[in-house]
Amino acid sequence: MNGWLAGKRAKIEGDSPAIAKAFEAAGATLAEGEADIWVHVAPPPEIKPAHELTHAEWRASMDVGLDRRFLGARDFAAACCAHGRGGAILFIGAPEQRFGADQAAAAGALGNLTKTLGVEWARDGIRVNSILTHETGETLGRLAAYLASDYAAYVTGAVMGIALDD
Amino acid sequence: MPVPAHHIVVLPPPFDAPPYPADIFAGQVVLVTGGGSGMGLAMAKAFAQGGASVAVVGRSIERAAEGAAQIAALGVRTHAMSCDVRLPEAVAAAFDEAEAALGPIDLLANNAGANFPVLAEDISPNAWNAVTRIAIDGTFLCSTEYARRRIAAGKGGAIVNNSAQYIWTGFPGDAHSAAAKTAQATMTRKMAADWAPHGIRVNAIAAGFFPHEGSVSGRREEGTEPLQNMIPAGRTGSIREFGWLSAMTCTPLFGAMTGQVIVQDGGESLRRSLIMPDYVPPRERADGPWGWK
Repeated sequence: MNGWLAGKRAKIEGDSPAIAKAFEAAGATLAEGEADIWVHVAPPPEIKPAHELTHAEWRASMDVGLDRRFLGARDFAAACCAHGRGGAILFIGAPEQRFGADQAAAAGALGNLTKTLGVEWARDGIRVNSILTHETGETLGRLAAYLASDYAAYVTGAVMGIALDD
Repeated sequence: MPVPAHHIVVLPPPFDAPPYPADIFAGQVVLVTGGGSGMGLAMAKAFAQGGASVAVVGRSIERAAEGAAQIAALGVRTHAMSCDVRLPEAVAAAFDEAEAALGPIDLLANNAGANFPVLAEDISPNAWNAVTRIAIDGTFLCSTEYARRRIAAGKGGAIVNNSAQYIWTGFPGDAHSAAAKTAQATMTRKMAADWAPHGIRVNAIAAGFFPHEGSVSGRREEGTEPLQNMIPAGRTGSIREFGWLSAMTCTPLFGAMTGQVIVQDGGESLRRSLIMPDYVPPRERADGPWGWK
């Protein structure tokens, strides 16, 4: 992958072995503190009909699927701006309609948040994109690495899937 | 207004640093429609940087040959052809000719299209037919010709379509292209479903502003400099990054990707505000249907 992320520090919040592997293959350093790239991975929630979801379950989905992502992105962007450097934000999650109403709400909100922040922070050099997919394998990792790299410097506010049913 | 100096504008890596190894398409042949100039030439060069042989299809053989010469300079085999992609027999003949010259077509890039500022009421039936049928029928005819050959050979493959960032919003002052480019994107998703059992992937790039010599923006008297600050990213696109993303979708690196329409527009299609300039209908714009010539 030709050093797509050579010299970049990436912070990955949440679990995606494929993304971690692809980022390292692309030359990124996985970091806990200061980073040039922030990736948030939310696991898909359990599928339940809306009327069987408790408010606590609903809130948990919104928290990981939306709120934590916004707050994390806000903190990341603030750090980028404080250092006068750009950055890349990537949200990874499940597609909108194949899970419960909680996921539909969180993913829809996240999609439009992605579009909004991509434009709002464009001139800070901060790009914001989302991959909403069932896929967890190599293509996810590589697509994430590409979107985080300067090869995707003109891709921001984009929401995409990978497979047909995403 | 120029982009203020304190804004951060990120550029892609230089042309000689493509995102994949020089042999990623080695032994493969790609057919690129409209590949002699502009965005199609950028696609063709990107495939060539991965080692693909390139069949360059153009309406004008002269332009196709000029493009093919530039592509050949990257060290790959090329073949230039003239073809009207609106005609099924011509498309079949072009595939035959390309295969005779270079071997079986492994990959397809549908780029052929036309686009120019015009009021809807001034679009003649001929102009409407030209713009819509080159993109809509041309993409259909080339894709189905390609798929039939791949399926008959028992091989998978990959198609990438050049769509546009205005497919979700419409494009007042460009009705023919607005219709055509959205058709390309919606057929992308359906063809991906139809051909998934055959291992043929189909994706599209919803491209923003990539000025080049042959484009309306690239030919502006004022140049493209005044356009840079219109785009949230602070610049128009560099045509190489469009070519690379298009070719990337056809690599095994993105082997699970199909049915996707990826927007690459520096945020252009998304910029909006509750406070906006007054709306002026295309007919009343002093500087033409797009607001600039």
